[in-house]
Amino acid sequence: MDTQSYLPVQPGVGMEENFLSLDDILLSHERLPIRTECSFPRLGFLDKSSDSQDIPEGTKMELPLWLSKGLYEKKRRVLSVELPKVYREGWRTVFNADPNVVDLHKMGPYYYGLGSQMLHFDSPENPEIAQTLLQTFMGRFRRNMDSSQNAYNEDTSALVERLDCLEKALFSSGQSGLNSFQSWEKGRASQLTASSLVLNYRKRKINDIQP
Amino acid sequence: MDASEVEFLAEKETVKIIPNFSLDKIYLIGGDLGPFNPGLPVDVPVWLALNLKQRQKCRIVPPAWMDVDKLEEMRDLERKEDTFTPVPSPYYMELTKLLLNYASDNIPKADEIRTLVKDIWDTRIAKLRLSADSFISQLEAHAKLDNLTLMEINTIRAFLLDSLNCMYKLRSNQQPGSSKGQFTDF
Amino acid sequence: MFCEKAMELIRELQRSSEGQLPAFNEDGLRQVLQEMEALYEQNQTDVNEAKADGRADLIPSIKLRHCCLLRNQRCLTAYLYDRLLRIRALRWEYGSVLPANVRFHMCAEEVQWFSHYKKSLASFMRSLGGAEGLDITQDMKPPKSLYIQVRCLKDHGELEIDDGTVILLKKNSQHFLPRWKCEQLIRQGVLEHVMS
Repeated sequence: MDTQSYLPVQPGVGMEENFLSLDDILLSHERLPIRTECSFPRLGFLDKSSDSQDIPEGTKMELPLWLSKGLYEKKRRVLSVELPKVYREGWRTVFNADPNVVDLHKMGPYYYGLGSQMLHFDSPENPEIAQTLLQTFMGRFRRNMDSSQNAYNEDTSALVERLDCLEKALFSSGQSGLNSFQSWEKGRASQLTASSLVLNYRKRKINDIQP
Repeated sequence: MDASEVEFLAEKETVKIIPNFSLDKIYLIGGDLGPFNPGLPVDVPVWLALNLKQRQKCRIVPPAWMDVDKLEEMRDLERKEDTFTPVPSPYYMELTKLLLNYASDNIPKADEIRTLVKDIWDTRIAKLRLSADSFISQLEAHAKLDNLTLMEINTIRAFLLDSLNCMYKLRSNQQPGSSKGQFTDF
Repeated sequence: MFCEKAMELIRELQRSSEGQLPAFNEDGLRQVLQEMEALYEQNQTDVNEAKADGRADLIPSIKLRHCCLLRNQRCLTAYLYDRLLRIRALRWEYGSVLPANVRFHMCAEEVQWFSHYKKSLASFMRSLGGAEGLDITQDMKPPKSLYIQVRCLKDHGELEIDDGTVILLKKNSQHFLPRWKCEQLIRQGVLEHVMS
C-alpha cells in the first residue's frame, strides 16, 4: 500500500461531532422531519409549501440536523423532532432479528452517525435506540471483517454497497491491512512507487484534454 | 505499520552462516560482527547474511525449526489447539520468506517448508479472526495476545482498532448523562 | 434554506477523493460571506426591534439565523482547514516545488502558507542529525540497498549524482542509481523502480 500523507479529520462517531470533519458536516446536513412548537416570524420563505410571511406554530417541515440541534431546547418547546423510520420500533425489531439482511446504505447512509445524534433529542425510546445501534454494529462485525480481509484483488463494489458510511471506512482500513500484507508476500513491499496523488492528477489532466 | 517495516525488524534476527572468506572482527553500533573464517560457522544478523549470500560469500545454515518434520508437528498442533501455540520465532513468517527467497539452495525441501509455514499462518489468521469476533460479540474490555507475532497483529491492526473505537463510541451512547445538554455543534 | 452554498464547498472537497486539491472556490466563499452578512443584518434589525418594542416573539427567528451564521462559519473553517491538510500533503508527495497545474488551484494565502510550511520543515530537517541535517521525506520505506535499478518513464533532462557524473534521463533508458537520488523522482512518476 502506498503511504498516504493526506489524513482528513476523522468523524466523531457517537454523540459528539468533530468540528472540522467533512464527514460530520455532511452527516449533520441530513434532514429530519420536525414540527414547530412556536412561530418563527419573517422566515416563512423557508417553508416552501406555504407563502405566508411567518412559519406558524405547528408547521410540519424538514430541517437539517444541525439546525434542529441548534434550536432544540429541553426546557422550552421550540420544536419537536420526529424519529426517522429506521430508528423506530418497527425497524428496530427487524435490526435486532438479523442485522445482516438490512441495506444500511439505503437506510442511511449515516445509520450509526445519525442514530447517535438522535439521542440528543429527549425521547423515551433513546435507550432502545442506543442498544439497537450497538447490537447492529456487533451483529454485522464478523461479516465486515471477513469480507474486508478476504477480498483481495477483486471488485469490492458489491461488498460495500449495503454498508453504512462508518462500515465503509472500516472496510477500507481492513483492505489496506490485507493489501499491504499481500504486496509484501509478493515481494513488492519494498518497491518504491509513484504517489497516487500524482497519478490521479495526471489522469485528471488527460480527462480534461479529452472530454 | 507497513509490512516492509516489520520485515526490516525481522532482519535484525541472527542466523548462522558458514563464510568462505576471512575477515577480522568488525565493530558496529548495533554490535560486533565476526571474526569470519572460511568454513567456521558464525552468527550474524539476517540482513548481513542475505547480503553475503547474494555475493556468494557464504552458505546459510537454516534455523533448526525450518525443518519439514518439526513444521508438520507444529501445524498439526496449531490445528488441534483452540488457542495460539508458541511459534519457533517471533518472525517465523518473515524469516521463511527472506531465507527461501535468497537462499533456497541452502535449505532442504524448500517448497514443502514454504507450504507448511503458509498453512500454519492461515490457521493462525483464521483463529485471530475468530477471537476478534468473539471479543466484539462478548463486549470484552481487554484481551491477551499471547504468542501472536507482529506480522500477524499487523494485518488486522487498523481494522480492529478502528472497529473497537467505533464500538466504544456506540457503547458510550448508552451511558445516561453522556449527553451534555448544551450542543456546541452546528 | 440557508447555508446551502457552504455545503456546496464541503461537497466539492469530499468529491475530490484521495487528497486531491480542487481549485480554490473564491466565488463560493464570497457568496457564503454575503449570506452571513445578510443574516447578521437581519438579526441586527430584529434584535433592535425586540428590544425597543418588547417583541419577544422574534427571538426564535433570531436564534435560527444565529445558528445559520455559526453553521456557515463552521463550514468555511472546515473548508479552509481541509485544504491546508491537502496542501501539506503535497509537500510530501511532490517535494518542495509544485507543478504549475497544482499551484493554480491555490489562492494567494495558500501559496504563502505552503512556502511557510516548506521553510519550517526545511529548518527542522537542518536541525537534525548534526551538521548535514536529515531529510525526513526520504526513505519512507526501509531501504534494502543503497543503489536501485530504475527506468525512465519520460524525458527529464540531466541528473547529477554524488560523484559528479551527469546522467541523461531519457525515456525508456535504464539506470543504476543511488536510491536517495531517485526516491522523489519515482514518487513524481518520472522514474520507475525496477525490481530484480
